[in-house]
Amino acid sequence: MTWTCDQVEARLSDYFDGLLAGAEKAAFEKHEQECAQCGPLVASVKSLVSEMRAMAQVEVPPRLVYTVLDQTLGPRETVTGWKAFLNFIRGLASPKFAYGAASVMATFVILLGASGFSWRKPKLADLSPTNVYLNADRQIHLGKARAVKYLSDLRVVYEIQSRLRQDQNELQSAPEETRPKPTPEKDPGETDDHSRVPPRQQNRANEMARQLEMLAADWPLICERSHR
Amino acid sequence: MEQDAHLVQQCLQGDGSAWEELVRRHSRRIFNVCYRFVGNRTEAEDISQEVFLRVYKTLGSYRSAHGGFATWMTSVTRNLLIDHYRRTKRDRLTDSLDDAMPVVENKESVARRPDEQALLGELSGQVESALTKLSPELREAVILRDLQQLEYAEIQQVLGVPEGTVKSRINRGRIELARLLQQMGVRPS
Repeated sequence: MTWTCDQVEARLSDYFDGLLAGAEKAAFEKHEQECAQCGPLVASVKSLVSEMRAMAQVEVPPRLVYTVLDQTLGPRETVTGWKAFLNFIRGLASPKFAYGAASVMATFVILLGASGFSWRKPKLADLSPTNVYLNADRQIHLGKARAVKYLSDLRVVYEIQSRLRQDQNELQSAPEETRPKPTPEKDPGETDDHSRVPPRQQNRANEMARQLEMLAADWPLICERSHR
Repeated sequence: MEQDAHLVQQCLQGDGSAWEELVRRHSRRIFNVCYRFVGNRTEAEDISQEVFLRVYKTLGSYRSAHGGFATWMTSVTRNLLIDHYRRTKRDRLTDSLDDAMPVVENKESVARRPDEQALLGELSGQVESALTKLSPELREAVILRDLQQLEYAEIQQVLGVPEGTVKSRINRGRIELARLLQQMGVRPS
């Protein structure tokens, strides 16, 4: 069975409703696959129907119900007491109000958290305006101090890096004779110093010598002070 | 359905709260049918009000044996929408003549308000826009089937035409709508 474009168009909704079966369904699908015009059309209608079925209902203007009631039953009497409260609650039961309330709550929670309120150990005193102010002030100062420390750390790192770079440049631009020369063929761990003194002892001896030199230089001043 | 019939009985006995309950139960559906048909919130609100006033006045003529209250209300809505379409047809013809001439005021008055534009998703907005370009017969059939998701028998009752005609209108409406969307540059997802 071979179908024409007109036949496919005429039975399009039947196909979507699952009313085509057997030879009819096969003929529909064969034509849909082969026809350059009907293929995209079937895809478009299928997408359109699913889109329309998923389209959200439009919110009703709140005044519509009240206007209709006023026009049919006459102006409403003023309700008081628990009925008024129930009417008020009913008026709040709309998705828009729920979203608004949720976003206000989220903002409130974030602000409280930022002001140092502890949700694990909540205290009534934390909610007093003075404490909220003090906590917020503390948090701001802590934040500021952290930011300043971070920036100064960055500065120190930058200075060290630039100093190292400068040293490297100087080393590269220095004349040949001033450059340190590679030591010829050494065993791993071997130094230029051929004395038997271990390196740690040598460092200590150097330090002591430096201190003795300083003492010798300052000795006349120390003697003068002690005489006075 | 039975609850609606019970509320109608209470209304006819003068119970105002039963009428209020009926209005609250059906306002969303009626407003949506009107909005999808006219594509404008203010007009949809006015027609919805008219529908409820008409229903209130003619409540005594409703017979539950002839079908559900919702279907009966949809028939009233449909009749008023068609009346509104015929009433505004002359205005639209004048508008289309005016549109042919480049007059700034008319283009601004036709444009949607920003809140209406924000209300619609991009694709939903294009579908709504295309819907208003369909002929009223095809538009009402597509709205009732694909947006209100009524059964063929209910649509047949609302429109007062045979089931074959209902199916044919829905089919043609969908195809025309898909072609309009293609012309608007909308690709199937």
